[in-house]
Amino acid sequence: MKQDLIYFLPELIVSITVLFLFLLDCFIGKRSRRIFPVIAFIGIAAMMLANKSSSPLPSARFFSDMMVFDHVSVLFKYIFGLAGLIAIVIANGSHELEKVDKANYFTLLTALVLGMMLLANAHHFLMIYLSLEMVSLLSYILTGSLQGSRRSSEASLKYVIYGGVASGIMAYGISILYGLTGSMTLTGVAEFLRMNAVSKTALYTSVLMIMAGFGFKVASVPFHMWCPDVYEGAPTPFTAFLSVGPKAAGFAVLLRFFFGALSQTTTSGIEPIKIIGLPALLGGLSIATMTLGNLAALQQKSMKRLLAYSSIAHAGYMLLALVALNAEAVTGVIFYLSVYLLMNLGAFLVLIIVGDQLGSEDISVFQGLSKRGPFAALLSIVMTVFMFSLTGIPPMAGFIGKFYLFGSVIKSGHYTLAVIGMLNSVVSLYYYIRVVKIMYFDEPVDGRNLTTPMVSHASTVFALALLTIYLGLFWNGLANIVGQAKLF
Amino acid sequence: MQLAFFYFFSGLSILSALFVIFFRNTLSAAIALVVTLFGVACLFGLLEAHFLAAMQVLVYAGAVMVLFLFVIMLMNLGREELLKIKLAFLGIIGVITGVCLAILLVTRFMGLSAPLLSLDLGVEYGTVKSVGKLLFGEYLIPFELTSILLLVAIIGAITLARKPQS
Amino acid sequence: MILLSHYIVVSAILFSIGVIGVLCRRNALVIFMSVEIMLNAANLAFIAFAREHGGMEGQTIAFFVMALAAAEVAVGLGIIMAVFKKQGTIDLAKINFLKG
Repeated sequence: MKQDLIYFLPELIVSITVLFLFLLDCFIGKRSRRIFPVIAFIGIAAMMLANKSSSPLPSARFFSDMMVFDHVSVLFKYIFGLAGLIAIVIANGSHELEKVDKANYFTLLTALVLGMMLLANAHHFLMIYLSLEMVSLLSYILTGSLQGSRRSSEASLKYVIYGGVASGIMAYGISILYGLTGSMTLTGVAEFLRMNAVSKTALYTSVLMIMAGFGFKVASVPFHMWCPDVYEGAPTPFTAFLSVGPKAAGFAVLLRFFFGALSQTTTSGIEPIKIIGLPALLGGLSIATMTLGNLAALQQKSMKRLLAYSSIAHAGYMLLALVALNAEAVTGVIFYLSVYLLMNLGAFLVLIIVGDQLGSEDISVFQGLSKRGPFAALLSIVMTVFMFSLTGIPPMAGFIGKFYLFGSVIKSGHYTLAVIGMLNSVVSLYYYIRVVKIMYFDEPVDGRNLTTPMVSHASTVFALALLTIYLGLFWNGLANIVGQAKLF
Repeated sequence: MQLAFFYFFSGLSILSALFVIFFRNTLSAAIALVVTLFGVACLFGLLEAHFLAAMQVLVYAGAVMVLFLFVIMLMNLGREELLKIKLAFLGIIGVITGVCLAILLVTRFMGLSAPLLSLDLGVEYGTVKSVGKLLFGEYLIPFELTSILLLVAIIGAITLARKPQS
Repeated sequence: MILLSHYIVVSAILFSIGVIGVLCRRNALVIFMSVEIMLNAANLAFIAFAREHGGMEGQTIAFFVMALAAAEVAVGLGIIMAVFKKQGTIDLAKINFLKG
């Protein structure tokens, strides 16, 4: 009894934090709103500690097979927790969010972390649908949280429309799968598919439709259209979170879906089911996603849109690893997600620091950034680290991440796909390096110097940069932890 | 007898669904949607999902549609606002996608022609009791989480609709 | 004799109508209504399949889908109201402040 509770403790802690924050909102006046980020931070930090105590336990399923608790879900909870903590630090003190009701913002952000954790644990299609919907609803709300801003509400309208359609398609896909197999748990579906023959067309249709929901979350083609607009319109501190948190949650559920429902364990390891051509489907999706992301990113003027398209491209790289559908793919995706979390949040944080002071989010604010005083010079170095890492240049962590991703693809024998992935990285070099170039070789448009921002922002951005370099040099520790992760 | 009801209600819901997407007036579209939802509720009843049929009328016709009508009235859309259907490029793609999907699904599921009444379902099938047993048994955790989700959605909707703080 | 496929055909047609509505219409409210039609089609399929399998699982899932649809409508209409207050229109063709 007591043992079982430890599994569910992280979710419990975050739920209690959310409900406590809601209650607190009723009793606390306008003056002491500063306490909300603190409590949210403590709640999520406590979740990560609880998560640590549940990590050595063996996998288990609870609540009549509704949820599965395994090493992968533990790792994902660390990723979500870290993203949540950094998002709280970033949002606390950002100029853009000054007029936003802090109590609601941090409560809903914590609830969003809860939704992502549930998504990583889901083992039943209803749980998948429910938690996906929870993540989506909260993302719409937080995207539209800048009340005075036209861009913010427009972005959330576009988001909610694309999201509503994607979830409708996904619900229909799930109903077809239910009709075909009569089971709604991931392993139940896999079991049925192993024992019985089903119609190929129907299964393919249902997988495609379910992929609409997941593809919407990770922003893969053809459900990426919302991404640039929403990233641009949402408040930047939330965009930063959106680009790593829900995306990681989407990949968590993708891993579960493909490894749980659509593969089978054979003597030689895990293999995708033969009845439908999953590798072809995923390979096509991932190539389309990364190519479109990279080509569109080349022509962007707004830094937020550039990072939006770059995040689409990164989703493509991670989908590429799923093509392999082997144990290395799980390692590759989780390792890449943790590295991507660091470097992408870092890049956004630099943008927030610079954008808050210079009042623009175009790429042009980076012109001559290195010449805007001592802090700006330091910040330019940090930004260079993130840009190099996003490209995948050694010795940054992004290189190691890509190494693992492409390694799993090569190991499964899809050489063409790996080559296309590497070519795409080369294309991405152009737009990342352009940012670095204008920071160092262009002259600033005006004489304003960058002042030192608040301590929490400055220390976070440097910590993220140091971690990015550190993981690029000493990746073994993280790779070992991730490599031992067992799904189900 | 059942077959007649089936054809009547499915015809009703499909026809009114078509009205929803082709009426130019938003208010008429909303009313047509109520008819669609009612037709679908009757189909639920024919499938012996009595509780779900009741919920469909209560939740959709009762709550969701009232929300829609409220918003339509609050907006007080003028006649010119009531939209021009662009049956250009996008429309054609839409029609093609829809037709393809229908054909695909129809051809596929025509194979599944087991008579529905072959199963003996027992008297409790589709009653409040049997749904409730599942909701508070096997499906307890999604049920509880739904309550958190609804709470969050309420708070979020309030946050969005509230006047900006000065 | 009513067959399962009858119901599935009806639900497929309803779903297609929803998809067409989403793609053809530019009024945010009507798009939302089309999404409701799509979700209803999914619910109809869930309940028909539940009848076929003789279990209650499909009905319970349909119940949850209804609840979630209601939540989504609440949030979506809140967002539509917020946009309408600022831009005076809910025509998606005219709401194009964000562009690349």
